[in-house]
Amino acid sequence: MSWESWLISTISRTLAYGTPLLLATLGEIYAERSGVLNLGVEGMMIVGALTGFAVAGKTGNPWLGVLAAGVVSGVFSLIHAFASVTLRANQVVSGLALTMLGLGLSGVIGRAYEGRPLMNTLDEISIPLLEKIPVLGPAIFQDQSPLVYVGIIMAILLWFVLFKTRIGISIRAVGEDPATADSLGINVSRVRYLCVMVGGVLAGIAGAYLSVAYRPSWTDGMTAGMGWIVIALTIFAFWNPISGMFGAYFFAALFVLSFRLQAWLSPELLKAMPYLLAIVVLIVVSRGTLQKRMGAPSALSLPYTRGED
Amino acid sequence: MNKRFALFAALALVFVLAGAAFAAYEPGTKMTVGFVYVGPVGDYGYSYAHNEGRLAVEALPWADTVYVESVPEGQEGPVIDDLIATHGCDVVITTSFGFMDGTLDAALRHTDVIFGHASGFKRAPNMFTFMADFYQVYYLNGIIAGALTKTNKVGYVGAFPIPEVKRHLNAYAMGVRAANPDAEVLVRWIYSWFDPGAAAEATEALIADGCDAFAFTEDSPTVVQKAAENGMISFGHYGSQMYTFAPDYVVSGQAVDWGSILVDFLQKVYDGEYTAQNIANIDYWWLMSQGAVYPEAAPGETINPLYVDALKAYMISDPVYGEISAYDLFNLRSSQFSAPGVTFDPFQGPISDRNGNIVVPAGMWLSSDSLITMEWAFENVVGPWPGEPE
Repeated sequence: MSWESWLISTISRTLAYGTPLLLATLGEIYAERSGVLNLGVEGMMIVGALTGFAVAGKTGNPWLGVLAAGVVSGVFSLIHAFASVTLRANQVVSGLALTMLGLGLSGVIGRAYEGRPLMNTLDEISIPLLEKIPVLGPAIFQDQSPLVYVGIIMAILLWFVLFKTRIGISIRAVGEDPATADSLGINVSRVRYLCVMVGGVLAGIAGAYLSVAYRPSWTDGMTAGMGWIVIALTIFAFWNPISGMFGAYFFAALFVLSFRLQAWLSPELLKAMPYLLAIVVLIVVSRGTLQKRMGAPSALSLPYTRGED
Repeated sequence: MNKRFALFAALALVFVLAGAAFAAYEPGTKMTVGFVYVGPVGDYGYSYAHNEGRLAVEALPWADTVYVESVPEGQEGPVIDDLIATHGCDVVITTSFGFMDGTLDAALRHTDVIFGHASGFKRAPNMFTFMADFYQVYYLNGIIAGALTKTNKVGYVGAFPIPEVKRHLNAYAMGVRAANPDAEVLVRWIYSWFDPGAAAEATEALIADGCDAFAFTEDSPTVVQKAAENGMISFGHYGSQMYTFAPDYVVSGQAVDWGSILVDFLQKVYDGEYTAQNIANIDYWWLMSQGAVYPEAAPGETINPLYVDALKAYMISDPVYGEISAYDLFNLRSSQFSAPGVTFDPFQGPISDRNGNIVVPAGMWLSSDSLITMEWAFENVVGPWPGEPE
């Protein structure tokens, strides 16, 4: 195989593996920008994966599966919103509970779907004209799941909303200084609820991508820790949707290359690389002053009570 | 806090007393067998196959079974205690290598209960070990892969570079070599027993390197699905249930019948031959000749009929049998493995590893000790091999 086709398939696989990471990371960025840390990503993703598979199988329409996954995971995320915003519970505990609940519930309910092939999978598409571009065409615009492009469009759209619109200002204000935002007439609870739900919807779609497009089937625990990588990616991306896109693809590229470079480099080292990198980034950004400059929401994981600041 | 501790201590005491008051199994009476699984029984892989074994035990008129699934390695102790205290299990079977020490500890705690552990090597007067090993089946699958590959590159997605997987990979590579001296076996490691994402990308990496036939060690049908997406053949792992994901592309596979071992052992417990005092030397190492493992594409179908003609048309010049089709060689080796007196083994000398060391001298067969500690790589294996001897 020539280096050119090797490069094309590596880029193509990076987009394929990076898409669920990207979608879920975008959601977590919104939740955290509003001040709510949600460690329930893994749980929301797996609930989405099961919902997507079940609905796609039942209706024969994979898009309905994706849609249902977004709705169900969005509703599922309300558990965390209710606990952390309304009850002002510890967000770490509540998020972890969401993950455990999601993994457990999907395992029990999903038993009926184990080992069933999906007849109507989300088919890959090629973009006319663009696919003719040398190298980049076949790498990016040929035989990709439509959700790959949904992910890229969402990243740009969510970046625009967060930084260029009034809604975005409200979200960031709530995450930075909820008391001030409140005094300016922003409904802190409502913004936080909505942002957590955006996180749930996107994590659900990410899960559905895994079960109806990436590897069409349902297997208990099939997200296999992706939700935790998303948490790290959110910080890695400095809470910025565009950086989130590059972060997700960068991580995916490392993952994909960890199998493609095994013939030349130690597989143990390659396997550890993405995680090593995540640790380095976490150490760098955990320095307070830098963190502030990088966009960490000041009120992240702090419950807000009016008049107690 | 103190109150809570007291409650905990009281509970612990109840468990201990319940354990101590437990009576030993009386041969010829109803038997309760408990199973501890590392994965979900619906994983369509390892734990699924073990659960099929449990169902064979359940079908015995004198045996009842209970099971606990998805038990993390290291947490088997309390689960075993509970199986004994709550369900009154007379026999407890644990199925993952990582349960070895926890099962041994439990065997020392509950000396009246009989324990069985799959894939390990530690035993006690009341604890036996058992294993159904796939290496002969991998050899047979290798013959097919070597015959059907068009690119002369055959892929293998390996879980961990440990002796068990290396043994299977080498046997597979030897089968490939027997059918096709020009073919190589390319390997990628994913460092997990279950990781669909890693299995998918490892398969794609092998495809990018030119492979067109796939075998693997991973507990999901991912490799089968990815291969089929690209129009390439594969071999199902742990039973024929993976066939449903790609009926046109799964040529054969590795199937196991854990029930054969369990029923044999439990029958001897029922008859009073094996007790909680005399099984320290009982180690089942069952292969094709005992019927514990066999090649299978779909239920009742050894080779996918879509590929039979191609295998019959592919001629091999074998040093012993002369011109022989891949199909006939497969069946010949299969019957040699299955016969009561095994007359052929993949690991019979002379064998050199890929660094040129003689690992099995001419005229020798590898002992089971050498099989379970295997670290070397066969000549036609290409790719990383952590732990490889110089």
